[in-house]
Amino acid sequence: MLNNVFLKTLWDQRRSLMWWGIGMVAISLVTMLFYPSLSDAPELNDILSDENSLMKAFIGDIEDLTSPEGFLNSQLFFLLLPMLFLGFAVTQGSGAIAGEEEKGTLDLLMSSPISRRLVLAHKWAAMLAAIIVLVVATWIGLAVGVVAVDMDISLLKVAAATLSAGFLGMAFGSLALALGATTGRRAFSIAIGSVVGVTTYLINALTPAVEALEPARYISPFHYYSGSDPITNGLHLGHVGVLLLIATALYAFATVTFERRDLGV
Amino acid sequence: MNAVVVTNDLSKSYGSHEALNKVNLEVYKGEVFGYLGPNGSGKSTTIRTLLDFIRPTTGNASIFGLDSRQDSRAIRARVGYLPGDMVLYDRLTGHQVLAYSAALRGGVDWAYVEQLKDRLGAELSRPVKALSRGNRQKIGLIQAFMHRPDLIIMDEPTSGLDPLLQQEFHEMVEEVKADGRTVFISSHVLPEVERLCDRVGIIRSGQLVTVEDVAALKERALHRIEFHFGTPVSATDFEDVPGVQDIEVKDSVLTCTVMGSPDAVVKAAARFTVTKVVTQEPHLVEVFLSYYGDGDTDAE
Repeated sequence: MLNNVFLKTLWDQRRSLMWWGIGMVAISLVTMLFYPSLSDAPELNDILSDENSLMKAFIGDIEDLTSPEGFLNSQLFFLLLPMLFLGFAVTQGSGAIAGEEEKGTLDLLMSSPISRRLVLAHKWAAMLAAIIVLVVATWIGLAVGVVAVDMDISLLKVAAATLSAGFLGMAFGSLALALGATTGRRAFSIAIGSVVGVTTYLINALTPAVEALEPARYISPFHYYSGSDPITNGLHLGHVGVLLLIATALYAFATVTFERRDLGV
Repeated sequence: MNAVVVTNDLSKSYGSHEALNKVNLEVYKGEVFGYLGPNGSGKSTTIRTLLDFIRPTTGNASIFGLDSRQDSRAIRARVGYLPGDMVLYDRLTGHQVLAYSAALRGGVDWAYVEQLKDRLGAELSRPVKALSRGNRQKIGLIQAFMHRPDLIIMDEPTSGLDPLLQQEFHEMVEEVKADGRTVFISSHVLPEVERLCDRVGIIRSGQLVTVEDVAALKERALHRIEFHFGTPVSATDFEDVPGVQDIEVKDSVLTCTVMGSPDAVVKAAARFTVTKVVTQEPHLVEVFLSYYGDGDTDAE
């Protein structure tokens, strides 16, 4: 398991990844179990009336809370799941280079005959792989829930929405990785990664309520995560492309900055 | 001679602080080179520049004739490194740490690893975090030696090792040297350098003050000699003896400091009845101090 930097990085994370996976399965499944009681309460939709348009900022732009799509979007995909993916990815990304550097293990790693570029490539790939593991775990939890409560929704659409959250995580994880690789400072990378995440989330969530600010949502990665409503419409390739482009561009940026700087002691 | 490490005006500044200032160093193939200086004098900065962890502000360095920046990977394939503040993956066992390091190097002769492990008495089956400093240092030493590198760079290698192991370490270094391979040891502890090294470079505040042959340094080193005579003597009887200084007389006991050969003072003493002579193995501490001045060093 310790054959290269990629496998070693995943090996180090095996326990935390397992607990994150279990957590994602549990959160998804438990939420699903509330669906039968919510779907029997159409009066819930009253909070979606026009006078309450700000409500959209908190649960998303949803027509019917009691439909399978409306339920999943409002309860999981609008806030909870993307934030969990964000948190996981930012933690992973910031630790990739800056974590080893601050602990002091980067010195021995870099005394091996491997280039910084290769170390970064392995670390990035390990982060993407860990995110995919969480996507799968989340989908499993949701799929079991769909079957358990007999929800009328395609498991492929559920996969599309979950995968979209994974792509969002990849974008923000790559941001944290790039910050860590550039500065060598883990806490800084977590802080900036989280602040950018929450800010762009709010931009995407609040702008629909304020018409003048509507165009601002296009700068938010969250728009490309949920704007096309993947659980209803499946993955929007253009939006997926934007998220992966952000991730790749930040990774490319990191290879340049990490290559050029002095490594910390 | 064949230079393995060459630095040309190697300099590194951090803002206005000059960590290294035009260091010109040559380390020859097959020698054990000591790099001596107090903490913070630039020893680790030099080493980290050689390994391309940090980049020189001006100047350059080459190892095996390869440029330290352009050809760093090829250099690191042939170098073993023991960091000064070594940190190992503390959740891995010693065995896993070595296996990972070996894999990144494309494999090593595992029989040799086992041999090094037995010689140092290293504990490889427990997680690193459960090990003492000395036991971690053994793992660090094994990973620096295990691929039989052409050059081994070690930053304060014997810190944390007990005296018996220092002897074993000494022998390991001698074997590398006998192989025609090269060892670069940085230290702030003089006796360590004195015991292990052929030549020593002394660095102070980022500047290479001098490079000396250890044997030649010992020639010039100061001996403390104590003569016990059958009758009281006077300091004036020894004042004109060449190379003798700091004469102290108490009744029939005379102590003095002699630079280089004690021949002249022994002949001068032979005029009297000598009942006992006490000498101490010369240490380079005094020579070292003469480069630094008092109170500006933490050498022992």
